[in-house]
Amino acid sequence: MSLLRQELRLFLRQRIALPALLLMLVLSAASVAVGLAEIARQHDVIARIQPKQAQDEGTVAAWAGKEGDAGNAAYYTFHATWDTPSPMAFVALGQRDVAPFVLRVRALALEGQIHENETYNAELALPGRFDWAFVLTYLAPLLLIALLHDLFSSEREAGRAVLLAVMARSQRSLWLRRIALRAGLLLLALLVPFVVGAAVSGTPGSQAALVGAIAAAYLLLWTLVCLAVSRWRQSSLANAASLASAWLAITLVLPGLALLAINSAIPVQQGIELTLAQREAVHAGWDKPKAATMQAFLRDHPEWKDKAAFAGGFHWKWYYAFQHLGDRAVDSKVAAYRAGLEARDAWTRRTGWILPSVGLQVAIHRLAQTDLAAQIAYQDRIRAFHAALRRFYYPYIFSETPFREADFAKAPRWRG
Amino acid sequence: MTLPDPSQTARGTAASTSTPASAPLQPIEMRDVELTRGSRTVLSGLSLDVKAGEIYALLGGNGAGKSTTLSALLGFLTPTSGLIRVCGYDPAAEADAARRRTAYLPENVALYDLLTAHENIAYFMALAGAEPERAAIDAALDAAGLQREARDRRVSGYSKGMRQKVAIAMAVLRDVPVLLLDEPTSGLDPRATADFNALLGGLKARGTAILMVTHDLLGAADCADRIGFLAEGRIIEEVHPGEGIDVLALHHRYGERSAA
Repeated sequence: MSLLRQELRLFLRQRIALPALLLMLVLSAASVAVGLAEIARQHDVIARIQPKQAQDEGTVAAWAGKEGDAGNAAYYTFHATWDTPSPMAFVALGQRDVAPFVLRVRALALEGQIHENETYNAELALPGRFDWAFVLTYLAPLLLIALLHDLFSSEREAGRAVLLAVMARSQRSLWLRRIALRAGLLLLALLVPFVVGAAVSGTPGSQAALVGAIAAAYLLLWTLVCLAVSRWRQSSLANAASLASAWLAITLVLPGLALLAINSAIPVQQGIELTLAQREAVHAGWDKPKAATMQAFLRDHPEWKDKAAFAGGFHWKWYYAFQHLGDRAVDSKVAAYRAGLEARDAWTRRTGWILPSVGLQVAIHRLAQTDLAAQIAYQDRIRAFHAALRRFYYPYIFSETPFREADFAKAPRWRG
Repeated sequence: MTLPDPSQTARGTAASTSTPASAPLQPIEMRDVELTRGSRTVLSGLSLDVKAGEIYALLGGNGAGKSTTLSALLGFLTPTSGLIRVCGYDPAAEADAARRRTAYLPENVALYDLLTAHENIAYFMALAGAEPERAAIDAALDAAGLQREARDRRVSGYSKGMRQKVAIAMAVLRDVPVLLLDEPTSGLDPRATADFNALLGGLKARGTAILMVTHDLLGAADCADRIGFLAEGRIIEEVHPGEGIDVLALHHRYGERSAA
């Protein structure tokens, strides 16, 4: 029987070995199942919204098409957008928990529509979702500590250290083998459910391999922490206490303090304040002189200067002009809000170079495309889509071209 | 009690490697060894050697430096000055090479409680680079005197004596040139002690150099070729039991020195 198999037998007979490995396997499998279920639910929502969208659009088209009023058509038609999850999103749900992944927008002022959804599912922002990234970041190190804290000390305490030192042909090989076996089996228990999940979700092999390598590097780092503490030659109990303190500091306390420091150093308005500011700007548009509104609008859209004239108290041209100006009014606020979020994100990434748990979360969420960058990218795609909607409706509105039922089908479509 | 066939043990296979060309022939050699632990000088000019096929018993009172001597020979402690060689290797600087030629029987044998005697031996032998057959392990356990019915039980229920027999079986199986024993008969009943002494005789006949640290003067006189009395970190008297010594007188002198 090879030495490795003998080590394996010895390890597996230890009271803590099998329960720890099984617990790792169960936690990993449960988190993968939770992640896959949530992503399947999101896919299902996205799939269901498309026929609903067609149904809704058909209803609007049925009456607005008869009147042929493009302003009505643009006002009453919601256009669905959605952020399709990446195959790897099941690993780390991230911003998909708290930010909307489906948003129906109209050709009105946009920023309010984007940010009024900010508080969507806010209660999930408190504890965070139980996903695989959570298991890897917080629970796997604890189980590794359980397996490694007494690696050397248990031999000293049992009186076998001298006999082992005398018998082993190579001390280095002996301990490397034992460490590799413990950490390797734990990594295996962690990765097997992930690999199954990756296969089910269709994650590309190279990305799955990268996540596996990141997980291995993270556990290697914790292994080194365990070994460093073990070298102090304390008792097993003292090692366990020291390592538990290190875990608390590295995964919870220091990242928490870093987050507090970043948030204090970079104040960012609430998104809902943008919505309010924009609505106030839009509502103020009702009271402003129409000529001034149209003049301001035409500075942005000179192509309509020959078609901007209208008569009477209300006209869609004027209405959509001040909707547009409502967005422009919060331009600087939106830019500051975004810059603030990106600055916080950049500092979080920098913190990740010092705090491994933060670095791991940043890396995994980036790979899963569930981070702030992915959320902002979705918002940018919505803005581009909204601009296309305006480009589509403006010719009907400003040229006063009748908007018939058939025209609804010509509207831009969201490409998920 | 008979020892297993050497061809089935570790010497000549994994545990046997050549000594340096310039190495002295002495399996155990200590010359003018000084060793301090903290501010205390434990060994002070200790010189002793053990030849192949010789049993050397090292006696001394508590704190005389017996265990320190073994620790230095195993490479766990580095002397301040002097020379220590195990089969020509400096155990402090070439620990792996020296230990590969050394079997060690601690006073309190700690094994893996979750393994059986067979499994413990197989594991420790594998660590030493040998993979003895089950029959060879059984032969070594026979030689050590461990009951057959106990061998496939986990050693958690073993007595001190039974654990010692397992460790003795390992020493027998390793078949290395040097055997270091720390109070080897302290947990054994008189019959087991006699069996153990006979076993040592067998190892001696095989050419093993045996250094035994003990308080048991009578036992040492029974099996050792030489007895060294250690006091204040050096050998102060050496006797040859084979030359008709007066054990009772020795006991008196030894008692006085132990108390000193």
